[in-house]
Amino acid sequence: MKDSVISANNLSVAYANQLVLNKVNFSVAQGQIFALLGGNGAGKSTTLKTFLGTLKPQSGSANILGKPVHQHINTSRKQIAYLPESVMLYGHLTAIENIQYFLSLADIKQSVQQIEDALTQVSLQPQAWHNKLSQYSKGMRQKTAIALALLRQAPILFLDEPTSGLDPAAIDEFNQLMSQLAQAGSTIFMVTHDVYGACQVANKIGLLHQGELISLFNAEHNQSIDTETVHKAFVRGIRA
Amino acid sequence: MLISLKDLKREANFLLRQKRIFVLLLITLILTSFALYTGIIEANKQQQSITRLLQADAQEQEIVFNSKNDYGSIAYYNFHLTYLPPSQLAFAAMGNRDTHPWKHRIRMLALEGQIYESDIGHPELAATGHFDFAFVLSVLLPLILILLLHDLFANERAAGRYDLLTVTASSPLKIWVTRALVLTLSLFLTFILPFVVAAVFNQVAISQIILVGLICLAQIIVWAAICFGLAKTNAPAPRLASILLSIWLITAFVIPVVGDAVIEQQITSPNGGDILMVQREAVNDAWDLPPQTTFDAFTQTHPEWKNHTSMNKMFEWKWYYAFQQVGDQQAAELTKAYTEAAKLKYQAANWLSVLSPSIAVQRAMTRIANTDAIASANYQQQVRDFHAELRSFYYPLIFNQVEFDQQQLALLPQFSANSHK
Amino acid sequence: MSTLLIIAHDEWRYWRRSKLALVTIIISIVMALTSVVLTTISVADENHQRAHLQQQAEQTFVEQPDRHPHRMVHYGHYLFRNSTPLSTIDPGIDSYTGKAIFLEGHRQNSATFSNQQHSSQLTEFGPLSPAFVLQTIAPLLLILIGYSAISRETEAGTLSFLLAQGLSYWQLLLGKVAALFSVNLLVLSPFILGCLLAASHGESSAIIVTFILSYLVYLLVWTLFIVAISALTNSNNSSFAMLICCWLFACLLLPRIAANTTQYLVEQPSKIENDFAVKAKLRELGDGHNSADPAFLQLKANLLAQYQVEKVEDLPVNFRGIVAKNSEAELTKILNTFAKEQMQRELKQSTTNQLFAWLTPALAIRGLSMQLAGTDISSYHKFLREAEQVRYEFVQSLNKAHAEQLNYQTDINRYQDSQALQNARVSANNWQILNNFEFKPFNAEQRLTQSKLALMQLTFWLIILAVFLGLVGRKSQC
Repeated sequence: MKDSVISANNLSVAYANQLVLNKVNFSVAQGQIFALLGGNGAGKSTTLKTFLGTLKPQSGSANILGKPVHQHINTSRKQIAYLPESVMLYGHLTAIENIQYFLSLADIKQSVQQIEDALTQVSLQPQAWHNKLSQYSKGMRQKTAIALALLRQAPILFLDEPTSGLDPAAIDEFNQLMSQLAQAGSTIFMVTHDVYGACQVANKIGLLHQGELISLFNAEHNQSIDTETVHKAFVRGIRA
Repeated sequence: MLISLKDLKREANFLLRQKRIFVLLLITLILTSFALYTGIIEANKQQQSITRLLQADAQEQEIVFNSKNDYGSIAYYNFHLTYLPPSQLAFAAMGNRDTHPWKHRIRMLALEGQIYESDIGHPELAATGHFDFAFVLSVLLPLILILLLHDLFANERAAGRYDLLTVTASSPLKIWVTRALVLTLSLFLTFILPFVVAAVFNQVAISQIILVGLICLAQIIVWAAICFGLAKTNAPAPRLASILLSIWLITAFVIPVVGDAVIEQQITSPNGGDILMVQREAVNDAWDLPPQTTFDAFTQTHPEWKNHTSMNKMFEWKWYYAFQQVGDQQAAELTKAYTEAAKLKYQAANWLSVLSPSIAVQRAMTRIANTDAIASANYQQQVRDFHAELRSFYYPLIFNQVEFDQQQLALLPQFSANSHK
Repeated sequence: MSTLLIIAHDEWRYWRRSKLALVTIIISIVMALTSVVLTTISVADENHQRAHLQQQAEQTFVEQPDRHPHRMVHYGHYLFRNSTPLSTIDPGIDSYTGKAIFLEGHRQNSATFSNQQHSSQLTEFGPLSPAFVLQTIAPLLLILIGYSAISRETEAGTLSFLLAQGLSYWQLLLGKVAALFSVNLLVLSPFILGCLLAASHGESSAIIVTFILSYLVYLLVWTLFIVAISALTNSNNSSFAMLICCWLFACLLLPRIAANTTQYLVEQPSKIENDFAVKAKLRELGDGHNSADPAFLQLKANLLAQYQVEKVEDLPVNFRGIVAKNSEAELTKILNTFAKEQMQRELKQSTTNQLFAWLTPALAIRGLSMQLAGTDISSYHKFLREAEQVRYEFVQSLNKAHAEQLNYQTDINRYQDSQALQNARVSANNWQILNNFEFKPFNAEQRLTQSKLALMQLTFWLIILAVFLGLVGRKSQC
């Protein structure tokens, strides 16, 4: 547990006096891609929000680099980049302006060249870079947001349903990009209900059901986790 | 949490590029300038009107002086123009200058019969009210601020950016405070910059400009605090705006109107018409009473003329002016109660304005611009003082039956409008 | 038809479940009701007081003892203006004009003691009158209730769902209009009661019906606008912001901007300036108190010739009375010319101001409402003209008594001693010259004619909005 980058330690979260997360434990090491799977209302978003520091745990803790987030919000946040689900970045700004604006909020300086590199990396067509975001399609917006997450150069990435709304080709590109990042040393935490996508990219999967972590799957050396097994557990969990 | 100039510049650049915000600020700027411009024209018109009246008044006086040759007749025929000139700041807050008289022509007759004459503007236009800077500050400012600030958070939430911003920013609170600061500051500037230009053009005292600036700032802070406080709740933007608008509606319209009804109910005042009636009865009855009765009442307040009350003729000016004075004296109590009631209403309304920022701003502005009820009351007092001066000028001439001398008329008191502090 | 009812019913269900909408509807009704009740009470109260004061004024006048008739000319008389029946709904300029007027010889006074001058001045931004509530506040509340009528469906995606069910876009628009219109009727109901009360106080039914219909049309204009904007914008946010901005301009800003502009466009000299002009004109006439004034030489010559006598003392009538009567007549002619000019300028200001109603329906209904209620400037002018008529008649009756019942010698020698003064009187019977004065607004037909422009403007707005909604419906259907 000591060298884990992200860990949940008996994490319980209550929302409006109702326990939505009950004693959840897991840990993610550096360079790992962790996918938290679960149906609607299983507690995925709650877990994510607790790591972002926008929700406080009732007991236990969500830790980043070994420190409870709720006690070290600012230092924790410096370490993470966050990609919200279907985010609508500012429509009156171009992709580059959007990224520049968000980076300056985080006090991070990146040259235009670096921003363009990141946009290339997420394969956003260069002719769109200087268009206002209000003219973008959903996929293009998502790519811009991913570029922003990359440019934060944070060692830890939190992704909320990153592939929803993307076409299959874009999903493939995205998964490759995640693997590259993980190999380069980033730790990635994603929340999704897409079993197939999760198994393709993640080397650790947690299955959340009604606020409890009902199973954990680990990828064996360089092999992806078996989709069938996870799928069965997922469906059974829901039915149970 | 320190907000640096860089933060402000970044957010200003970010926010002012949004068409909605830019257009809103531009419209505000145009409206404010329009209010100031028409205010200046109106104030100039009033000033010109006073100049014309002073000229006409002097001509009239000349005619009376040349055609009459006794003090009694001159006092009877000679009117004096009194007026309350628009202050330097009146262009910004016209206040009650279209509902309350600010010019009277008075003469030596009973004052109570003259002072309630009112020479005011078009009642339909007066009922609509002025579109002046005071209105812009008290009613428009909160509305624009609500439009600017209500979706500070809600918009980001709706677009799914709220958490992203919170997680990304080095200090989340700083973004919101900086944004609110940029919006309120630019709004403050759109209001105050045109005002300062207009004020400097009109040679308004620096201290007054600063005072108006502070009022503007206070109004912005109050409404920004209300908006900021409510904006943090989780409701969608239109719902928040609805709540804020309701607060605005209640404070700007409902509370004052209800307060007004309560004040009218609670503070009893003599009927204005009664003052006129009492004065008229007193003056008219005096014709039928023995002169000594009038003189007795008169010398109670003017004992120095006790030995000058004998009449050689059936009509003498001193008797005539004595019963005019007695007419005023009989109405004095009613007048006092009437002005007292006005004062009480004013004070009660002041207390009430604590609950209504809009009313408070309106009252503060008209107070500084000297266009409020106090200004009207002070002006009325000035007219009373001047009338008293006229009496003390004429009484010795009339009671001592001084030989008429044109030279004396040069000493006739002249109304001076500058005695206002 | 039944589809419309279902949609309207569904909208009501939404309002019932959304607390804010329900509270807003309740607030609207309470405000309308309170304003109607309070103004009705205060107008009834004032009218009662005024009737009493009027009666008292007439009584004190006729109870005056035997006197020199010219003394009664200066003693004067008071007229009090009673409110028109519909002023309970729209007091218009009533509280700005003053309701008491002092009538005396040689002068035309203006009405004094307006309520506004002696008020707490808290109602700077708007009075508590049903008219203000309906013209200004009701549209805002309607916006708060209805801004999301269509945009909500668009935003939630239920719009395409509804249309996919076979519902036509038109039915949806009209259903929402029907729902919002039913709110109009609710808000209007206290006001309609107030109108019926006015009818029982003698207001003509043609006026009452036009009055109610005008307000109904005005609120319908807003209803159509709200639904159209809600359909035109694709989010609740923009629908709301757009509607609020329009309301701000239409109801709060433009009326005041119009007033400022009118004052700028149409010059109106103050009454005192007018007085100077009258004075200058009058100097040519001579002082009616002084029959020796050279201006009356011609009159004297004519009279002497008419009665074929040598001296004024030999005239069968009192020359001083004749002079007073003649100069009052001449004076009144001049005063009336100036008063007429003043009124015409004021009317011109009103008409200029009314032109701005092409820019905002709020001014159309405002003008229309005051004109129908008889609380506008022309109605006030009518009061002033009638007051002048009363003034002229009683002054001239007194001057007639002066000329016919008081001997010239007695008159000019009245200040010789107290006995002479006693003799220079006429009987108090001469004071029985006042008729019970009661101010009546223009009759229904006249008022309807006066309000033609405003009626046209309001109709214009209804047509514009109907066309606008039509275009929106057509555009969104494709």
